[in-house]
Amino acid sequence: MSSPKTERRFVGKSVPRKEGRDKVTGAARYVDDIRFPEMLYGATVRTTSPRGRIKEIIFGENVPWDEFTIVTAKDIPGENYVALILNDQPYLVEEFFNHTEEPVLLLAHEDKFLVEKARRSIRFEIEEFSPVFTIEDSVNKREIIWGEDNVFKSFLVDKGNVDEVWESADVIVEGEYLTGAQEQLYIENNGMIAIANHEDGVTVWGSMQCPYYVHKALIKLFNLPEEKVRVVQTETGGGFGGKEEYPSMIAGHAALLSWKSGRPVKIIYDRAEDMAATTKRHPSHTRHRTAVSRDGKLLGMEIDFTVDGGAYATLSAVVLSRGTIHAAGPYLCPNVRIRSRAVATNAPPHGAFRGFGAPQSIFGLERHMDKIAKTLGLSPEEFRRRNFIQEGQTTATQQVIHEKVDLSGLMDRAFELSGYNEKREKFAEQNKSSRLKKGIGFASFMHGAGFTGSGEKYLESVVGAEATEQGNVRILAASTEIGQGTNTIFGQIASEALGIDYNLIEVAKPDTSNVPNSGPTVASRTCMIVGKLVESAALGLKQTLVGSGFLKDSGYTSEDFSNACRAYIEKHGALKSFSKYQQPEGINWDDEHYRGDAYGAYAWAVYVAEVTVDPTVYEAHVDDFVAVQEVGRVINPVLATGQIEGGVAQGIGYTLYENVVWRDGRMANNQMTNYIIPTSADIPPIRVFFAENPYAYGPAGAKGIGELPMDGAAPAILSAIENATGVSINHIPLVPESLMEELETETI
Amino acid sequence: MKNFAYARAQDADTAVQLITQNQNAKFLSGGTNLVDLMRENIEQPDHLIDVTGLPLAQVEELPGGGVSIGALVRNSHLAANQIIRERYPVLSQAILMGASAQIRNMATTGGNLMQRTRCYYFYDTDARCNKREPGTGCDALEGFNRIHAILGASDDCIATHPSDMCVALAALDATVHVTGTGVERTIPIVEFHRLPEDTPQIDTNLQPDELITSVELPALPFARNSMYRKVRDRASYAFALVSVAAALEVEDGTIKNVRLALGGVAHKPWRATEAEKVLTGAKADEEIFKRAAAEELKAARGYKHNSFKIELAERTIVSVLKTLASEGGAR
Repeated sequence: MSSPKTERRFVGKSVPRKEGRDKVTGAARYVDDIRFPEMLYGATVRTTSPRGRIKEIIFGENVPWDEFTIVTAKDIPGENYVALILNDQPYLVEEFFNHTEEPVLLLAHEDKFLVEKARRSIRFEIEEFSPVFTIEDSVNKREIIWGEDNVFKSFLVDKGNVDEVWESADVIVEGEYLTGAQEQLYIENNGMIAIANHEDGVTVWGSMQCPYYVHKALIKLFNLPEEKVRVVQTETGGGFGGKEEYPSMIAGHAALLSWKSGRPVKIIYDRAEDMAATTKRHPSHTRHRTAVSRDGKLLGMEIDFTVDGGAYATLSAVVLSRGTIHAAGPYLCPNVRIRSRAVATNAPPHGAFRGFGAPQSIFGLERHMDKIAKTLGLSPEEFRRRNFIQEGQTTATQQVIHEKVDLSGLMDRAFELSGYNEKREKFAEQNKSSRLKKGIGFASFMHGAGFTGSGEKYLESVVGAEATEQGNVRILAASTEIGQGTNTIFGQIASEALGIDYNLIEVAKPDTSNVPNSGPTVASRTCMIVGKLVESAALGLKQTLVGSGFLKDSGYTSEDFSNACRAYIEKHGALKSFSKYQQPEGINWDDEHYRGDAYGAYAWAVYVAEVTVDPTVYEAHVDDFVAVQEVGRVINPVLATGQIEGGVAQGIGYTLYENVVWRDGRMANNQMTNYIIPTSADIPPIRVFFAENPYAYGPAGAKGIGELPMDGAAPAILSAIENATGVSINHIPLVPESLMEELETETI
Repeated sequence: MKNFAYARAQDADTAVQLITQNQNAKFLSGGTNLVDLMRENIEQPDHLIDVTGLPLAQVEELPGGGVSIGALVRNSHLAANQIIRERYPVLSQAILMGASAQIRNMATTGGNLMQRTRCYYFYDTDARCNKREPGTGCDALEGFNRIHAILGASDDCIATHPSDMCVALAALDATVHVTGTGVERTIPIVEFHRLPEDTPQIDTNLQPDELITSVELPALPFARNSMYRKVRDRASYAFALVSVAAALEVEDGTIKNVRLALGGVAHKPWRATEAEKVLTGAKADEEIFKRAAAEELKAARGYKHNSFKIELAERTIVSVLKTLASEGGAR
C-alpha cells in the first residue's frame, strides 16, 4: 500500500483528459481514418433466416467475381471458433447456422461500391429448421437448439433455508418482471484493418475494448504462436460493452481476407449492420416470491432469473453470474434462494453491455420491493430502510460486508436534494385536478466492481511502468481508453503515487507487442483493479530509482525525478517495473456453491427520478434526476460525474425509449431513425452527488464506477410513473403505445 | 457511393437545359437528403446539377398580402423570417420542429418539398421496396411499420412523407411555382405530392425536367392564429408519428374559417378536408372537434405496429383545435 499522503495533488482534481485535445481538434485517428497502400475493402455475407442448413451458395450475375477475394470456412488455417469461454461460435458458417446474422462468406475488393453490390447479389439455398425466439420456448425446450437442453449456464445461490419460511410468513408477495434488449449505440461503429501473411503473422488495428481477447481469438483462428499475432487499439469512440467480444470476430474476418489476398483489408460496419449483427443487452425474465413479516422484515426470497443469450454462449455465463449475484440487492435477508439460467434462442448472441446482467435483475428486485411495500401498507422508503444491509451482515452469497455502508444516509441525502418527501405530497394534491400527472420515485442498489468471484485471481493482470529517455514515466497497460477516461485517471494515479507532475505521465497506446495483459476493459475494473496495479508499478519504478541512488526517497521535485530517470537509463539502460494482481487477503469465493466474497468492493447508491405523464399522448418524461452514490474515493470529479450522467441517460433510454423490435430473430429497427435513443433535449438535469468512503484496496481509495449508474434509472422511473398514475408497470421498455395499453386497461 | 458528374448552373434555364441533356440527372440544392441517399446507394444519379447559385433565395411580400418564398431560401432563414413568424406562425413552428439546426441551415425550401420518405425499408437496401426498386414488393406491409401511413396507402407502399414544413404549407393553401423546358406553371401544394397507388417510386407530380423556383403563400389573415403540433418519439431528431398544422378563426363562438392538415400519416401532407367540412360554420367546442377528427380518420387503416396512430391523430387534432379556439377567442 502507498504511504499516507497529507495532501493530494492530482487525485480528486479534474485534470484535463490526456487525449482530449486530439479528439477535440480532430487529430485523433479512428480506424476508418487509417488507410494503407493497396488496401482492399471487406464485407460480410450473412445468413438471412434464423436456423437451418446452407445447401448451396449462389453467386449473382454481372459481378466480376474473378477480381474478388472470397473467403469461406474452408480457408481458415486454424480453429473455426471465436475463442472466448465455450468456443461454440464459428467465425464462418460451415453448413449449419443458428441466427439471421451469421457470417458465411467474406468478400474483398478495392472498390467499396462494387463490394456492396457483390454482397447483395449472393443468395443461399437453404433447408430451414424450426427456430426458437423466446425465453419461454427455450426453457420449455420447444426445440433443442443448443446442447442438450438449451441452457448455456445455470447458477444456484442458497442461503439459509427458504423452504421453511413460507408457512410462518405473515405475507407472501409474488411478482414477474421483464426487461428488453438494448443496443449499445456507441458513436463509432465497429471496424478493423488487418495485415496478415505467413511470414509476418497477423496484425490488426481497430476499435475495441479488450486487445488481449482479440489476441487470444486470433491465435486460435490462425494457429499461430503468440508473438506472431499483434493487436493494436486505435482511438475508440465508445464501447459500453459492445466492443468487448465482437471485435474478435471482425478482426478475424479482416485477417482472413488479408491472409488470402496478400493485401491490407479494412472492414468497417455501417450502422445498420452494426446494430443488427453485433451484440446487445440480454433480455430477461425474473420471478420473485418473497416472505415478509407484518412489520416489514424480509424473511425469505426466492428468485428465478433467466436471460436470453441468443444463439451462442459468448459471455452469457458471466453476464448471468453478475445478474444472479445482484438479484437480491443491498438488503439483508436470512433465507435466499436464487436460481438462474442463460438460455439459447435463434437471435444474434447477446453480450456485454454496461451493468452486465445487474440492471436486469435489479429492475425486477426494485419493482418487487415497491410491490411488497404497497402490500404491507408501508411507504417504499420505509420498507427499504427496515431491510438495508449493514456492516457485518451478509449478502445473498453470504459475503460479509466489511466496509461501512450507509444506504439510509444516502437515501436521506437523495431525498433532501430531490425534495422527495415534499413532492410526494404536492403531486398527490396536484394530480387530482391537473391533466398532466406528476410523480417521484426512487431505487436503492449496489454494484460490485471487478470480475466476479475468483475472476481477478485467474486473470492475473499485469501493468508496467517504464522510464522514458525524456525523463517521463510511461504506463504500460492493455486497458483501453474508450471515452471513459482511462488515460487520464492512470495519469492521475501514477502522478499522485510518485509525487510528480501529471504531464510527466504518458499512457502507452494498447498494443499487444508493447503492453502486458492487464485484462479486459470491462466490469468497472479499470480504475479499482488496474488502477491499483498502475499505482504499484509506478511505485516499483520509484523504488528502483531510490535503491540505485538516483533519487531521494522523498522531498524531490518533478525535475529531480526526470533527471533520475535519464541518469538511470544512461547508466543501466531501460527501466521498467511490472506489477501483478494479488488478491487482497480475506477474499474467498466458492465457485461450486456460488458462495462467498463475490466482489472485492461494492458501490452503493440511491437514485431519485421525477416524471410527468401526459395522458393525451401517453408520453412519460423524466423532469429531474438525482443520483447519490458512494464509490470510494473519486479520482476525477468531472470524469466521474460524466460517467454517472452518461449511465443515467443510457438508463433513461433503456426505460422509456429504446425498443429493440424482433422479427424472426432479427432486429427489425436497426437504424437510428427507428431505434430511438434519447437526445440531450429529452434528458433532464442529472444531479450527481458522491459520498466518499475510501476503499482500502483501491488506488487512492477508489472503487469502480462505470456500470453502477446503469442500474438505477429504470426502477426509479417506473416507481415515479406508479406514483404519478397509480399503475404499477413491471416491464421495460415502456414506449408510449405500451403505456397507453397499461393505462387504458387500468383506468375506469 | 457511385461516382457521378457534377455541374453548376447559374440560372434556371441552364439548370433545366442541363437536366434534360443528361441521363439520370438530379438537381442538387442543400444536399441534406439526396447526398445521404447517395451514400447509402439508394439514389444513384450519374449527374448532379448544382442549383445553389441561382438567384432564388428571397422572401418577398406580394401585392395583395401574400408572400413569395424563393426555392433556395434556407429552412432556418424562412423559420426566422419576421413576416412568416407573424402572419404564418404554423410554418415557422413546423420548420423548427424538423431536423436539427445544422440541417435547417443547409436545407432549402425547394429541397424540403422534394424530401424522400424515411421508411426504414426504403433505406435498407437489403429489404424489398417498391419505391426504391419498383416491382420488388413492400417489406413494410408485414414489417415494423410503426411510422407508416394510416391514410391513403396502397398495397404497394405504406410510406409517409417526412416533411414538417410541407404540412404547414398544405394547411396554408400554398402554391408551388415551377419552370420546365419553355413552360412555367403553378401547382397547388395539395396536388404537388401524390399518393402511392401502384407507382410509389414517383413522389410528386413534378416532371423530370421541372425546377421549383418558389412557393407562394396566399394572404390568409386568420393564419395569424395558427399552430403546429408534432408528436414524436423524442424531443428532437425524430420524424412525426403524427403532426397537426391548423389555422382557426372563431367569431361569436362559431367557426368562420379553418385549415387543417396532418403529417406523418400519409404518402403526402394530408389536408383534412373532411374535418374542415364538419367544422366550418359549426359551434367551436370540444364535441365538434372530436366529431371532425373522427370524420377525418374514418378512412384510416392501421397496420400491426401503427394502429395507435389513429387514436393519436384524433387526440392531437382535438388538442390543437382546443388551443387555437381558446387563444383565438382571447383576441
